[in-house]
Amino acid sequence: MKELRIGVYVCWCGTNISKMVDVENASELAKDLPGVVVSKDYKYMCSDPGQETIINDIKEHDLNRIVVAACSPRIHEATFRKAIEKAGLNQYMLEIANIREHVSWVHTDKERASQKAHALIAAAVTRVKYHESLEKRYVDINPASLVMGGGISGMSAALLLAEAGKQVYLAEKEGSLGGITKELDLTFPYLHNARQLISELEYKVLNHDKIEVLFNTEIKDISGYVGNFETQLNGGNKEIKFGHIVVATGLKPFDASRIPDYGYGKLPDVVTAIEFEAMLQSGNIFTTSGEEPKKIAVIHCVGSRNELYNEYCSRTCCLTALKYVNQIKSAIPDADVFDIYADLRSFGKGCEELYNTTAALEKVVFLNYDQRGELPIITETNNKDYKLSINFREQLSNVDVEVPADLVILMTGMSAQDDAKKVSHAAGVSLCGNDFFIEKHPKLDPVATTTDGVFIVGSCQGPKDIPDSISQARAAVARILATLATGTKAVEVTTAQVNEEMCCGCQTCIAVCPYTAISFIEEKKVSEVNEILCKGCGTCGSTCPTGAITSKHFTDQQILSQIEGLLKKEKEEIV
Amino acid sequence: MSFQPTIVAFLCNWCSYTGADLAGTSRLQYADNIRIIRVMCSGRIEPTFILKSLREGADGVLICGCHPGDCHYHEGNYKCLRRFKLLQKYTEQLGIHQDRLRLEWISASEGKQFAELVDEMSETITKLGPNTMTEEMNREFKIADYD
Repeated sequence: MKELRIGVYVCWCGTNISKMVDVENASELAKDLPGVVVSKDYKYMCSDPGQETIINDIKEHDLNRIVVAACSPRIHEATFRKAIEKAGLNQYMLEIANIREHVSWVHTDKERASQKAHALIAAAVTRVKYHESLEKRYVDINPASLVMGGGISGMSAALLLAEAGKQVYLAEKEGSLGGITKELDLTFPYLHNARQLISELEYKVLNHDKIEVLFNTEIKDISGYVGNFETQLNGGNKEIKFGHIVVATGLKPFDASRIPDYGYGKLPDVVTAIEFEAMLQSGNIFTTSGEEPKKIAVIHCVGSRNELYNEYCSRTCCLTALKYVNQIKSAIPDADVFDIYADLRSFGKGCEELYNTTAALEKVVFLNYDQRGELPIITETNNKDYKLSINFREQLSNVDVEVPADLVILMTGMSAQDDAKKVSHAAGVSLCGNDFFIEKHPKLDPVATTTDGVFIVGSCQGPKDIPDSISQARAAVARILATLATGTKAVEVTTAQVNEEMCCGCQTCIAVCPYTAISFIEEKKVSEVNEILCKGCGTCGSTCPTGAITSKHFTDQQILSQIEGLLKKEKEEIV
Repeated sequence: MSFQPTIVAFLCNWCSYTGADLAGTSRLQYADNIRIIRVMCSGRIEPTFILKSLREGADGVLICGCHPGDCHYHEGNYKCLRRFKLLQKYTEQLGIHQDRLRLEWISASEGKQFAELVDEMSETITKLGPNTMTEEMNREFKIADYD
């Protein structure tokens, strides 16, 4: 092996790492590690000057391996890979030691945290010695895309792709487009017509020759990889191929019957937000007895912000409730409206103004309750003046109140769809705790996923309003078009490879490969990996009895030496 | 100073490593005895890695993968589970208490569970005391000179 010349770079990350790890000492200690010729620390390694330092050092000191001790590789491995490539070094000659997410942010003893950081750096140094140059492989990209879900997000994405001249398959599991938005009457804060919004979009989508709408279609299994996906429709009758996937499967309203206090499904005239929208769309607000309600109550946070149901805030319900108050007052000016809220979250353009306007309306009372405590209880009264009463402890006055109502509207939150798990398996995306799909990075990459070529947009990623849903849809399309503009896509090359001389022909690797990426060459009686189909999981590598299979970038030698470096101090103590 | 164990953890990139990152982003505090090695899939982990860790002085080895059914590569975690069960039996015969090895499923959103797992395992290993396997082997076979 050519002489090892390793550069170690320890990042302060401002005070994020330096507060709990002695970064200067860490870079000092690293100088004594075998093969290290340069060791530095810097405030923000990922910044331009930080990256420039690495690039210059590679050229000046003829470095052939780089170790960066900083945040999680999931954040900046790609950044530093690109940087060293600029300096002429193969991007795989890099190893990241995670001393932020795994050290400085989670430990409290600075001395021990620093020791741990040093061990992780030592492990990276011993591992990187065995790194090899790997050349990126480029694949062609099918310019067509699959959009899963024909709601406002899906349709927005499909239309934008089609307008850019790309073929789109829009799969919708129901028999019509529009998702939840088609069930809305008006939108907040400006009370625009939702149906108009949706029907315009629907018309363009159905009439665009680049969009093939597949109604009543659930996507089952998608095989392939970025640029080259395919799936069977209708039980195998039709096959479609596409290069990218946009998951826009939307939301399901929270099931209010889960909360016994509200009596939804048992008491008359207790309705959900969506049911109230239907009333608004029909132009008539009536109770089940056929009369116009005189007293209407709206309860916020139904199923939200409560650990018994969903812990998260559903983002749009407060503003929707304010919208309802306005619409009720417009339809029934003399009605008493009681807005029973936990907090009033009216952020966004025009929304604080909506709140102020609503608060100034006549005969509208705002009452505060604790959504984490005992919930308001709705019961039927025998009182001829009003059918229902809502009892709870009003928080601001600290008084037990009884609110009269002819109609109660429950502001049900957003939940993930029931088939989220099925969709996640089909598209290759992961779920987070609440069954929403998980983005690649909540701040830096909110529409991409860890599966290359698959994007998540709209409320299936988490509760959000229409503007944000459309923004995300367009963001995903921009990403897709950017990839399509380059023509090819680089795919991961950390695949498996069989050393034919060591292969004993047992075919165990073939049995364990989940992608049938390995085949048996009869003439030579050895296995061969199709590196295009191989996803680099490493299962064959760990299964092979002779060690004939190399899992590139995760070789036995690399990992075993990483273990050695990690436990160097422990080993020294064993005499 | 009382015994502070060293635990080597193998975490799969897609679920458990991300879960551990989440514990960090959430600023959850947990025992500093753990040192993490990233693999793409728990199916990549072979017995040699665990044995090597113990040989090099680790007092415990933790493996984390995706929950059954959720493996990013479909079934790698099942393969890991099978190997692990067998390995635990084998290492017990080497005199390694089975609680020194642990396999848990941690998803990308389970930062809290990861932190709790580390604390729990750290406590268990502290009670078990240091792993004396290598010392005993060295003494027994007098191979200290060859290391």
